[in-house]
Amino acid sequence: MRTSIFVLSIIIFLLFSVISISYAQDAPEVSEQGKEVYEESCAHCHGVEGRGDGSAAENLLPRPRDFTRGLYKIRSTESGQLPTDKDLFDIITIGMPGSSMPGWETSLSADDRWEVVSYIKTFYEGFKENETPPKQISLDGKIPYSEESVEIGKFFYTQFACFECHGNAGRGDGTSAPTLQDEWGFKSWPANLTENWNFRGGSSTEDIYKRFIGGIAGSAMPMFEDASFGLSVEQAQRYAQLENKVEMTDAEDEEFNQLDENMGNAYDILDMMTEGIANDEQKQKHAEAMKVFQEKSWHIANYVKSLAPEKRPEPAIGKNVLRSQYTVDTLPTIDDAVWDTLEASYFPLVGQIIVEPRQFNPTIDSVNVKSFYNDTEVAFLFIWDDRTNNTEEQETEDFGKTFVDAIAIQFPVKVPQDPTAPKPYFLWGGKKAVYLWQWKASAVNSVTELTAKGITNAEIQEVQGDIQAESKYTDGQYRLWVKRALKTDDKKDLQIEQGVFVPIAFSVWDGANGDIDTKRVISSWYSFVLEPVPSSRRFIYPPLVALLSLGILVGLRGFVQRRNT
Amino acid sequence: MKTKMLVCFALLIACGFGLFVFADDHEEEEMNKLVFSKETYKIMKVNNGGKISGVVKFEGEVPEKKKLAINKDPAVCGVVDKFDESLVVGENMALKNTIVYLMDVKQGKDFDKDAKVELDQKECRFNPHVQIIPVGTALTVLNNDKATHNVHIFGTSKNGTSINKQQTRNRKRMKLAAAKGPEGPVEVKCDIHGWMKAWVAYVPHPYFAVTNEKGEFTLEDVPPGDYKLGYWHEVCGNNNKEPVVVTVAAGGEVKQDFTLKIKK
Ligand code: HEC
Ligand code: HEC
Repeated sequence: MRTSIFVLSIIIFLLFSVISISYAQDAPEVSEQGKEVYEESCAHCHGVEGRGDGSAAENLLPRPRDFTRGLYKIRSTESGQLPTDKDLFDIITIGMPGSSMPGWETSLSADDRWEVVSYIKTFYEGFKENETPPKQISLDGKIPYSEESVEIGKFFYTQFACFECHGNAGRGDGTSAPTLQDEWGFKSWPANLTENWNFRGGSSTEDIYKRFIGGIAGSAMPMFEDASFGLSVEQAQRYAQLENKVEMTDAEDEEFNQLDENMGNAYDILDMMTEGIANDEQKQKHAEAMKVFQEKSWHIANYVKSLAPEKRPEPAIGKNVLRSQYTVDTLPTIDDAVWDTLEASYFPLVGQIIVEPRQFNPTIDSVNVKSFYNDTEVAFLFIWDDRTNNTEEQETEDFGKTFVDAIAIQFPVKVPQDPTAPKPYFLWGGKKAVYLWQWKASAVNSVTELTAKGITNAEIQEVQGDIQAESKYTDGQYRLWVKRALKTDDKKDLQIEQGVFVPIAFSVWDGANGDIDTKRVISSWYSFVLEPVPSSRRFIYPPLVALLSLGILVGLRGFVQRRNT
Repeated sequence: MKTKMLVCFALLIACGFGLFVFADDHEEEEMNKLVFSKETYKIMKVNNGGKISGVVKFEGEVPEKKKLAINKDPAVCGVVDKFDESLVVGENMALKNTIVYLMDVKQGKDFDKDAKVELDQKECRFNPHVQIIPVGTALTVLNNDKATHNVHIFGTSKNGTSINKQQTRNRKRMKLAAAKGPEGPVEVKCDIHGWMKAWVAYVPHPYFAVTNEKGEFTLEDVPPGDYKLGYWHEVCGNNNKEPVVVTVAAGGEVKQDFTLKIKK
């Protein structure tokens, strides 16, 4: 009797131990250190329970990630897979540019970052159920950057239909852009590919490649399996060429059908691979087609890379300050090719978060400005990207409430003669007044002069000076051309003198992003100057240099020829 | 000795109990999902099974049919008018696209292996709007449009159903990876054409039906027994909390109708 109870207890004890152990294995390993770091540094955005609903979340777009669904945008892993620990560690270290997710490299130790990685994984049980490590995207067959590759990439950018969302010029202005949402139902904009410093997951060619091969989980951005699977680069180009022909000869018709069939077969094999029923021969064929697909994808990655400058431009201060160039001629109009000879000055913008209503989620990165002047007038070209062209206030079910796009260019009324002298308050002035040019997309060829003594205290000048303006919206970009006399009779106007640094600042409204009144993106004060008229020496030096180098070349040629004979 | 052992015993039981309390979850009820039995479904031959059928009706004021704004690819997508399909009420208040199913069936017939599991994209509309997909079966997505779509399924990575794949206009058919386990219904969207929406449910047994235009459903070859009969509708919600219990007799037929209202 005793022994049987003893044996029974032992058995029960073992049973429970087994249950507890197996439970313990299933149970998320809660890292105390990670939890502490999380609750201190992350929870006010991501929520104590990781649902992305922290106290600061409501004002943010994109929203802080909800960790309970296991959806991660920036992965080195294939579509539908979870990220690796290293992926999470890296994103926490670097942060996500273009969103409010900060980088923690300086404020948390590497050890803390690793611990918080294991802690955020406990919010999604898929992490523990996954015994097999997630599949990495292969980076094989990388094609080096070249003009030729970029050209091929451009073709496939169209074939893969990236433009549907990212637009023809890549500015995130595709025709599908206005309706895109993330999986939580919040508005999401396709990336502006010409401003790759705002990419969440980095701007290297490899980063770009990984994003569209693996997709950006939780967002509208899909993953891709080619647009002409099984066809080589040349065959794909030929296919597109034939497809666009209005009339095909019999031979062309046959050629087209053959290509179409090859493609269909390759896709059928791809489907068999998905189902896991392909035989060895099919697997071989699939591997070959995959190689070509990778080749096309690297070309696309090179093309996307080519759309942005190599680095984020330096802001227009110091040696980059906006210099209006002198010309003896009449000033160029909006479409004059001479504008292309000037390098634009870059004025970064940030959301206005001082006065209600605020803009926490800016969609406009910057204004780029070029300028010419002559003896009597000055002309500016203001260029900024905006994904949508909103010319009137609207309320639709699809897009919600949208307002009119606009820009205001701000100068002080009185230019301080000394650059260190105090300027008016940068938010449209205060005690010291500012002078403004305001342009709205509802009246594309006019600029209104305002005087303001504060962001909510602006009035239209009674006497409107003679300012010419013209604007165009193409492929997700506004260009506004403004011309005015250097000097005017109006005391409320800015008077521009050569060689004097004139403070300048900007406000821009993206109507589709809910910008109106104080809700807008702004810059602080920068300055511009009418570059002094070039002295005649400038015109002597270049020909001299040219002559000298010609002489050297001739000499060299003679030297080489003599050596060869 | 004996008392010590008993204390030990009691403690262990208490621990065990504590552990199991954790497992309780109400997630399905809250999120308008189906209820799936935790037990693995056993396939067996069903002889002389019963039949459950009925009609699902809508109650309340039927909202006006909402025409969808076609703001993209009008040449392909704008040829026929399209309407919001979240609430389709037919004659006699018949409610289409309601899933009716057995919540707690543990064994029964196999899936119809010949049934096509296809989601069609034609004139920029998903068809069907609500569909059940057997766990382990790959969904075939057809593209009958000269337009590029992307098939975005809001499932989970652990189930292999978190999918967002581009289907360019040259790709007529595309297989999507099979679900590893039951899930759903989850939303399907084409982000390129934002109005295109559908639902799929990955199900572990064949006793699921989707109501037709007349609101009708039928579950056949049900092994005799008592079952909880559940429903799910996109905007009318579910009866996860109070399923109807039906008794199926060998060779018998049970009638069970439902009347649903818009969920508050
Ligand atoms: C100021 C708010 C804020 C704070 C604080 C914050 N995050 Fe985030 N985080 C975000 C936002 C917003 C996103 C989503 C960005 C996006 O989707 O583009 C995000 C995304 C993430 C992601 C998802 C990355 C991916 O690939 O999708 C991880 C992981 C993350 N945060 C970890 C952390 C950790 C760990 C901390 C604390 C050390 C933290 N975050 C603190 C706002 C925040
Ligand atoms: C259905 C719309 C859609 C299509 C088609 C699409 N994208 Fe995107 N893309 C997006 C959205 C939305 C984002 C922003 C994702 C986010 O961070 O929320 C994005 C972001 C990106 C980014 C930035 C990634 C980062 O790190 O922030 C790159 C690069 C990109 N897409 C490249 C491409 C390429 C190349 C293609 C074609 C092969 C393509 N996209 C097709 C919607 C799309």
